[in-house]
Amino acid sequence: MEIKKLQNYIDGEWIDSLTKDFVEIRNPARDTLLCLAPMSVQSEVGAAVRAAQKSFADWKNTPPVSRARYLLRLIALLEDNFDELSVVQTKEHGKTIDESRGETRRGIEMVEVAAGIPSLMQGTNLEDVASGMDECLINEPMGVFGGIAPFNFPFMVPLWFIPFAIACGNTFVLKPSPRTPMSQVELFRLMDEAGIPPGVVNLVHGGAETADALIEHPLIQGITFVGSTPVAKQIYRKCGDLGKRVIAQAGAKNFVVVMPDAEVDQTLVSLITSFFGNTGQRCLAGANLLVVGDDSFYRTFVDRFVEMAAGIKVGDGLDESVQMGPLQNVESKKRVLAFIAKGINEGAELILDGRKLNLVGDVAETCFLNPSVFENVTPDMTLAKEEIFGPVASIIKAKDLSESIDMINACPYGNAASIFTNTGKWARRFQHEVVAGNIGINVGIAAPMAFFPFGGRKDSFFGVLHGQGRDVIRFFTEPKILITRWF
Amino acid sequence: MKLNTMAAVMSFIANMEDESSAFYRRWAGTFPELESSFSDWAMENKIFMKRIKRTYFGVITDAIESTFSFSRLETSEFVFDTRLPEGAGLQSVMDKAAEIEEKIRDFYRHASHLSDGLLADIPQLFKRIAQKRDERLQILKKDT
Repeated sequence: MEIKKLQNYIDGEWIDSLTKDFVEIRNPARDTLLCLAPMSVQSEVGAAVRAAQKSFADWKNTPPVSRARYLLRLIALLEDNFDELSVVQTKEHGKTIDESRGETRRGIEMVEVAAGIPSLMQGTNLEDVASGMDECLINEPMGVFGGIAPFNFPFMVPLWFIPFAIACGNTFVLKPSPRTPMSQVELFRLMDEAGIPPGVVNLVHGGAETADALIEHPLIQGITFVGSTPVAKQIYRKCGDLGKRVIAQAGAKNFVVVMPDAEVDQTLVSLITSFFGNTGQRCLAGANLLVVGDDSFYRTFVDRFVEMAAGIKVGDGLDESVQMGPLQNVESKKRVLAFIAKGINEGAELILDGRKLNLVGDVAETCFLNPSVFENVTPDMTLAKEEIFGPVASIIKAKDLSESIDMINACPYGNAASIFTNTGKWARRFQHEVVAGNIGINVGIAAPMAFFPFGGRKDSFFGVLHGQGRDVIRFFTEPKILITRWF
Repeated sequence: MKLNTMAAVMSFIANMEDESSAFYRRWAGTFPELESSFSDWAMENKIFMKRIKRTYFGVITDAIESTFSFSRLETSEFVFDTRLPEGAGLQSVMDKAAEIEEKIRDFYRHASHLSDGLLADIPQLFKRIAQKRDERLQILKKDT
């Protein structure tokens, strides 16, 4: 049987790409071929942007309450297809079915919040700014926006932006990740079914060249990007040069501090999910575990952490007994293996070796690793400094909270940091002094809900306004001031 | 068998509720004395399942973190057999129903206890369903 080739969605139509260049989309758990994704050519990006620009004129004049109704229809369709959407994520990414369901839920929450646009988009006004003169602020949509999505949350991340952009009256062109494009195809099918008018949302598959064409297109008003720090920096710079708005959410190296008074049982459950959930391929994942306390507490805690990590069942995410899936592709696995080798060479002690595979069920070993844990890691080691994006925990023994905070703030990344403690004073100090965009107190994954902004600090974020919440409404609108006087 | 994930817990519950519903439907038609309550209970089981699924999908992001709290959930303690010999009498059917309800109640109580403090809504729902099962159990015991 011929392998399915994914199509682009432009101006309300599913269209075969003009390219001859396709990449294989494989199920990382089984190493089976799922479909082929086109590396679309520049003219296809142009067609999508022009379609979006053409539909902008009518869409911006569609009342916000009517635009919200399209989103309400989309929510109903997403709920109806909840499990099917989740299964696609697991197949193309490898994450467990629970993780995919969680991602689907988080995605739907974005659409729910965006459906409140008649309230969210309201401006402000003040009568009598001078005698007999009134002043009013109106939030206007701007035109066509582009989105470049990552592979690790293929369904949810585009929903941080698309529903808000179109609810504000803009139109959108998305380039999904060339590694995990299928979830977005399903989302666009449902947006089509919800009756969103042609050209309002467009999907163009592709890689770096497609992304460049999107960023550089003169009709594009702004770009949303989620991915690695080097690429985020490039996009931020390029958008600056071109005078475009940009949200560039980048890499991370998140620290989790465990104080000696932490609730150990609940902390461990939370940490295991933080470090090994989504196979560590998450910008909010725990990476460096700082354990504060005497030798006895440290040893007991670390031993229990390792015991739990070693007990994680690894296999195909569609198997409900599995707690961790594979890395998303072979290159990701090679990258993680290189970090493990470097950690050993630099003198860290590998106390749980995830390279020794222990897998559940009939799976292909190609992309799998079991959880790894390093001990005796020091802040100057590569393991502690660079983003691994895999199931590897680096344990650092910290003297006290002050030393922990210093280590966190010395790190070039600032996406998230968590502390586990029962002492309010320590938690409050952590919250105030740590330089990171998202702080967790007894929470291992400090992921903001859809109605709060999501963005990191330092090398984890480039831009001014963040994704989600009221920030993203400001990102997708331009204020206009109206001053009136009647003689 | 030990359950490792929330998804596995959900499947176990679905199977448990389906089996008990089938039992009630099977015997509701045999004894007129049981028809009303057994038919209602079979229907109610479906509602429980829908509520649990809705709650699970609603709090799934919390459930992911909590999934490891179920790792101590050993299902062999809660497995029940719904089979009865052909021509079983009213008393045998009621005794079997009581045995099933007791197992299901204990399962929900245990699962609620394990996930308490980690999940927002699921342990509360489990507690409510355990209470309902206990009420059924009292009815069955009173009538025997």
